[in-house]
Amino acid sequence: MVKNYDAVVIGAGNGGLVASARLAKEGKKTLLIERHNLPGGFATSFVRGRFEFEASLHELCGIGSITGKSPLLKIFQEVGAADKIEWVALDEAYRLLTLDENEKCDYLMPLGKDAFINKLEEYDPGSSTVVTKIFDLIESIEKTLDFVSNIEDFKPSMIKEIFSEHTDFLKVANYSVDEVLKSFGASQKTRDILNGYWCYLGQPTDELNVIHYFTMLHSYIIDGAVIPRGRSHQISTALLEAFTENGGEAWFNTSVKKINVENGVATGVVLDDGTQINAKVVICNASPYNAFTKLIDENAIPEKLKKEVNAKTLSAKGFAVFLGLNRSADELGLNNHTYFIYPTNDNRKCYELSKNLETNDVQATVCLNRAFDDCSPEDTSILYMTSIFAGDEWSKVSVKDYHKTKYAFAEKMIDNFEKATGVKIKDYIEEIEIATPMTYARYTDAPAGTIYGYEASKEDGIVKRIVFDLIDKGIPGLYFAGGYTTRHMGYSPSYTTGDMAAKNAILAMEKEVK
Amino acid sequence: MSKKKFSVNGTFKDSVNTIKFLTERRQFVDSAPAVLPTRTDDFGVNKVAKSLHPKEQKLVISRIEEHADIAKSYYFKSETELAYFKAGQYLTFKLEIGNSVVTRSYSIASSPASALNGEYQITVKRIADGFVSDYILDNWNVGDEVIAYAPEGNMTYCPLRDAKNIVAIAGGSGITPFLSLARAIDQGDENCTLTLLYGCRTSNEILFKSELDSLSEKNEKINVVYVLSNSDEDGYEKGFVGADIIKKYAPEGNYSIFVCGPGGLYKFLETELPKLQIERKYIRFEVFSSGKKVDEEPKEFNITVINRGNETVIKASSNETVLCAFERAGIEVPARCHTGECGFCRSKLVSGKVYIPEGEDKRRIADMQFNFIHPCCCYPESDLVIRIN
Repeated sequence: MVKNYDAVVIGAGNGGLVASARLAKEGKKTLLIERHNLPGGFATSFVRGRFEFEASLHELCGIGSITGKSPLLKIFQEVGAADKIEWVALDEAYRLLTLDENEKCDYLMPLGKDAFINKLEEYDPGSSTVVTKIFDLIESIEKTLDFVSNIEDFKPSMIKEIFSEHTDFLKVANYSVDEVLKSFGASQKTRDILNGYWCYLGQPTDELNVIHYFTMLHSYIIDGAVIPRGRSHQISTALLEAFTENGGEAWFNTSVKKINVENGVATGVVLDDGTQINAKVVICNASPYNAFTKLIDENAIPEKLKKEVNAKTLSAKGFAVFLGLNRSADELGLNNHTYFIYPTNDNRKCYELSKNLETNDVQATVCLNRAFDDCSPEDTSILYMTSIFAGDEWSKVSVKDYHKTKYAFAEKMIDNFEKATGVKIKDYIEEIEIATPMTYARYTDAPAGTIYGYEASKEDGIVKRIVFDLIDKGIPGLYFAGGYTTRHMGYSPSYTTGDMAAKNAILAMEKEVK
Repeated sequence: MSKKKFSVNGTFKDSVNTIKFLTERRQFVDSAPAVLPTRTDDFGVNKVAKSLHPKEQKLVISRIEEHADIAKSYYFKSETELAYFKAGQYLTFKLEIGNSVVTRSYSIASSPASALNGEYQITVKRIADGFVSDYILDNWNVGDEVIAYAPEGNMTYCPLRDAKNIVAIAGGSGITPFLSLARAIDQGDENCTLTLLYGCRTSNEILFKSELDSLSEKNEKINVVYVLSNSDEDGYEKGFVGADIIKKYAPEGNYSIFVCGPGGLYKFLETELPKLQIERKYIRFEVFSSGKKVDEEPKEFNITVINRGNETVIKASSNETVLCAFERAGIEVPARCHTGECGFCRSKLVSGKVYIPEGEDKRRIADMQFNFIHPCCCYPESDLVIRIN
């Protein structure tokens, strides 16, 4: 059987969903293929007993709950999904705790620029002058990024504008977070607190690109973060609904066997049942590992693309514990939404320690009831803890030892949480589910169970990726969306790259017509 | 604001650094080999994931054991490795019976260790109106190949959640997950104690009696008590497994209750368990469908099924689940648990009205918002349009 579409999208993960929704909204006849029975990839939820657990989202930025600067909300509005999702704004950024007895700390940071700076001043008196300057730089960088991303028609005069108006950006573009913060003379304590979010990117701040991290600080702390009431599954399903309302077709429980490339141009896909789908563009939300080794003929892949994948390192592998507790958050003393618990404030050390099961003590934990208390039945609460592994330690775990290893690490995370916060939770676990790198591999085909795609290393930070994406072209007609593209893997970046892929594909289709 | 003079290492060094940026990245990519990357399936973690959760397993019946004329145990082998599991989980089999394509789940009776040695065991009991169980009992022979999905299910011992002592209440063929647990304890793969309260009508109906007796005898962590409802025999408790019997045999201190059996047992326990005043977290049921909906005058409806863009119209009765109508019509859906729990059969109700029995609606919040249903626990109340794929 042969069917014809304008566009075919492989995978209904965050990138694939937004790409599909955008294409359908723009009137393109689009087919979305997903091998699972539900959309979302990582962005989903699951029910155990009387609890519905969020599978992966801690907070979502880009909805602009404070400043109204909301690039993501704009995308959702444009594709027709925004009014299907109920957002709950958060007021807390994070509570930062360390396990190391010698440098025990406990910082509770709010969202909102002024509130954040004031709170930091309380913890580190005299810091506000420096921190204000740092936030000025964060905002200055954001201005440059806004300028660049709003360029529709490039004119040579713009280069002049960049060199005269956007010098801050140019000066810091190739530095790490640590290098820049140190140049401000920021104290160790101020840097520790500002670096709290490092575990969301999985990269130590001595090599993490400053533009990458500052963009993140802008979107979380200045613009504000939210959580969807119906879990991330609500976002995924809303995007799917918007897509089908605009005429899109989504086929679930369906796999793509092959991406057809003819004369160097992607022309469609072949499905598991042999159905041939011809399309003007193919959007791939699968990882390049799958695309290059399973879907595309080797000789159709440009050398550059192979080299690029091989040059990169896979980022953090995920581990999560989901707890349905039979006491309320108030009764237990779960007073905060986001807890970052680190063995030490030295995030390079944390990163190195996270390569090993015995020494990894990193966790980011969310009590969903602090976003909205009715997320679980009365007198209960939901707590989910995520850890990241820098190495590939889990590949050494055999099938036979799997359950034992998973329980042991989960227990350590629970113990660490109790130790750091003083809150007792162990006796109140009514439901528990544990996700290991194997779980992420199972549900998303993530290589080695990574939850962050490629490492945002010094050589492969997102600024470098974006610049080279403009220079290096891949296979015409094939557009990658999601966690393995120019941005880091994550909700906001994946939605964004999905939208970019669709827009680029639409531009290419229009050029073709002309 | 951007006019403000700022530098990290001085304007000159900063500019040099920015220019360096391009060459560094170019070298980084150019120095990598131009070969295909590792296949996803070849990463160690992904291999284990595949081994734990294969898409489906081709099993060959290697042996059939008759349990009087009440039930049969089927033993399976495979040319490839069998997926490992936790004691208490079930296998879902896919069968084609006449024009129907059906899935049914059976708890695994063998131990997890035996899966690593290449064998699964399930036990199928003959029940009234057992469409699929009758088919299996009458048709499966040694040497036949059958299709099963990976083990699933949540009635497993979790040391972080459950009490260290498990009081298991089994009714009839509900013994199988606990036989697996007893074997796992005996083999050192589960570190809990097991007090098994096994309810049957008469002693003749007890399955695996000699093995259970010997496990109970040799392993101090395992204690088996038989409770007969329809006959008074020496050496057996008489009656139903209720609060009194649980209190009589439960170990000192905290314990978790696991239940697996027919609907009648659950109904009885609904009033019995509250007498024990134990917290909800210590009571776990293997979820079974609460049974059939009975309409005095069942109505007939049409269901328009959308599958990959193609529409088919099938007949459905208000007395049967939507999934059952799919199965009879030979429409293949990825169903597993048949109790609304696993969510595999999740489908979009495009239009129409369905009835979901109380307590069986285990959907996600957003699925209710957008009208996605679990066909395994929905009964049609009007003509329906459902998108399954």
